[in-house]
Amino acid sequence: MLSHLLILAQAAAPAADAAAHGGAASGITNITRQFGLSWPFLLAQILNFSLVAFALWYLAFKPVLAILDERQRKIAAGLKYAEEMKAKLEAVQKESAASARRAQLEATRIIDEARKSAKEFLDKQTQESTAKAGEIIERARQAIELEKRKMLAEARTEIARLVIAITQRVLAKEMSDAERSRYNESAARELTNV
Amino acid sequence: MATHAKIAEQFARELFKLSVVDGVVSAEQVGGVLAYVEKHRPANPVMVLRAYQRLVARELAKGEAVVEHAGAVNAAMLAAIAAAMSGLYGRRVVATARPSAALLAGLRVRVGDDVYESSIAGQLAALASSV
Repeated sequence: MLSHLLILAQAAAPAADAAAHGGAASGITNITRQFGLSWPFLLAQILNFSLVAFALWYLAFKPVLAILDERQRKIAAGLKYAEEMKAKLEAVQKESAASARRAQLEATRIIDEARKSAKEFLDKQTQESTAKAGEIIERARQAIELEKRKMLAEARTEIARLVIAITQRVLAKEMSDAERSRYNESAARELTNV
Repeated sequence: MATHAKIAEQFARELFKLSVVDGVVSAEQVGGVLAYVEKHRPANPVMVLRAYQRLVARELAKGEAVVEHAGAVNAAMLAAIAAAMSGLYGRRVVATARPSAALLAGLRVRVGDDVYESSIAGQLAALASSV
């Protein structure tokens, strides 16, 4: 293919020389001669380069760019997915933290209520125990008082009985007949005045 | 049984009424009643006689003042007591002396179911009951 291109370039060279011999073509001709440029070869090179560039672009660059684009797209998708997951994770963490706070508040409330109930129960039990103890003490005090009165009554009765018994014995032993006679006379006077 | 006792009590009361003359149980009347009962044996004679005996004893007790005494009592005391009881009950009451050392001193007169206390033992017993 390159040989055909070279042949075509050689065939076009005289035509290009003839055109170059126009007015201002002399400057360009001088430049091309100084730098050693050959238009057929230059065109051929340009053509070859274009063909190669096109081939490279179509066969190499394009797939590679496609692959790169695909990779970029995947990377972008991955980054986007990561961002989404990160956002979801943050949301879940926030929700978890909020749930934990709510649970802690609820637990604190329940503990406070339990403490309050326990305190109320304790106070109530204390009051009831105090009242019962007071009742027991009062009943015991009343029982002691009753026992004391009973004992005093029994002692009084026993003392009176002893005093009377002793009096009877003393009078029976010590009273003289004259005293008895005087007492009998007094009793007779009393009975006659009934 | 209760009916028989009631009939016997009523009959004994009738016999007792026949035994009292001027408010006083007459020995003659009592003898006559006993002879009648012996001759005309009533129904349940033992019940009748027991009721009659109780009524007669109670009536006789009303006419006797038993004077329990500790120490000496003279006839004047007894007469005075008899006169006082006769005036009190409106019938003749005879005073009878009965010694009782348990009285310690003083007198206790018993007329039927009535008791008049004026003794040291009685006063000590009243003191004991009041304590």
